Amino acid sequence: MSIVEVGRGKREGWRSGFRDLDQILRGDRTRPSTLQEGELPIEVPRVTRAIVLLCVAYGLCMGVYALFAERGPEPRQVLACMVKVPLLFYLTLLVTLPSLYVFNTLVGSRLTPRSVVRLLTATLGVNVAVLASMGPIVAFFSACTTSYPFMVLLNVAVFAASGFLAQMFLLQTLQRLSTGPEIAGTPVDPSLEAPPAVRPATDVFPDRHVRTLFRVWLVLFGLVGSQMGWVLRPFIGNPDVPFAWFRPRSSNFFEAVFGALRSLFS
Amino acid sequence: MTMVQSLLTRADAVLREGSPAVEAPHASWRSRLAVLIVFGATYGAVMGSYGDPPGGRPLQMAYSATKVPLMLAASFAVGLPAFFALNTFFGLRDDFPRVVAALVATQAGLTVILASLAPITAFVYASGIDYRPAILFNGLMFATASVAAQAILRRSYRGLILANPRHRHLLRTWLVLYVFVGVQMGWLLRPFIGDPGRPTQFFREGGWSNAYVVVIEMVWGVVVGPSPRAGG
Repeated sequence: MSIVEVGRGKREGWRSGFRDLDQILRGDRTRPSTLQEGELPIEVPRVTRAIVLLCVAYGLCMGVYALFAERGPEPRQVLACMVKVPLLFYLTLLVTLPSLYVFNTLVGSRLTPRSVVRLLTATLGVNVAVLASMGPIVAFFSACTTSYPFMVLLNVAVFAASGFLAQMFLLQTLQRLSTGPEIAGTPVDPSLEAPPAVRPATDVFPDRHVRTLFRVWLVLFGLVGSQMGWVLRPFIGNPDVPFAWFRPRSSNFFEAVFGALRSLFS
Repeated sequence: MTMVQSLLTRADAVLREGSPAVEAPHASWRSRLAVLIVFGATYGAVMGSYGDPPGGRPLQMAYSATKVPLMLAASFAVGLPAFFALNTFFGLRDDFPRVVAALVATQAGLTVILASLAPITAFVYASGIDYRPAILFNGLMFATASVAAQAILRRSYRGLILANPRHRHLLRTWLVLYVFVGVQMGWLLRPFIGDPGRPTQFFREGGWSNAYVVVIEMVWGVVVGPSPRAGG
């Protein structure tokens, strides 16, 4: 009986993680009235589970290319992809989070460590949800494309697009977090009560330094993430090279993307 | 006979979708789907009737009749999850059922327009057009139907855009996404017309390739001369 209840509880836990993520995407968790406490009302472990599962799902879509390789399917590559995509995001976060927190404190931000973690979890959730939603497109092209450079560039484009949307969300939420406590005593504009996850950026931003810091951090996150992707490679798996869990450390991500572009056009 | 009448009535409803006329009928989901399948298959069958004599390869006609609705439906299904996430992200989730209805109506309308162009295609085939011009001609028919279907899309989307202008940007994103997937889906499902000199096949041998890579290689071959890969 208790095993059944534990199982039901776990299922409910997974479901609520996705429900939270859905509400973040819809903008329900980032309404000015809900941000008046100065932090996002989300449960980090619950959302994290949903994020990991979505990363695994995208890894599966990405790994489809290895299943249709000319030399025969390589299920180990699919497995590697499913493990590496969540690792890519969380290792990048691990590398960049300490510097963000320190600089955040230095510029005098009102964000506490807990609210920074919540904000970044929500941002990662948006990033990964958009990424996973493009999974079917990636899986479709992976199944019918033999060109390795094309798949590399398509995946880079998909990661870039989802990252771009996530950074829009981060900056927008940051703006609302900064204005939230100040408008606590004033009536909330009805048009702002149910805003989407993102709204076109405005110049009204009292905490300019924090915003600049997060912008710089986003660039850093992108750079570290790109190189982390390079260190953790292969994700897609070059069909001309035998399978390996990791490749030797050489070159860098940007050189590789440039190489893929050159190879596609030659 | 009543079934044909019913289908024509449904097709008429799809074509008038979103029309400001008071008596404009509203097509149901089942109607839209039925129209998409039947009218898409009609144009597909005519498309596959190329040859001498026209319609001499019933198997190719059956394949093409299957492929046209399949191409439209599969491109739609592959692109939809990303579009759903984008709509949610930009705060348009509540409108999503109406958005999907507008897009499906446009797809169904596209097949009705295509089917209306089918007699022209059949006539051109009967007048003895060569294989390559026949491919170009069908491309022209699809392009014409796509442009004409924009009228349904614009009408169906008018209310959505008036309620929230963000729908306009999302619609453009959808078109880019749909065309990007659709081009590859069409390439994958080829041949639609079928070279009469080659055996009838559902999929082209070695057709499991990428349309964009082929185009890049062709363009690059023209610009800098044939590459070893493109030539091989």
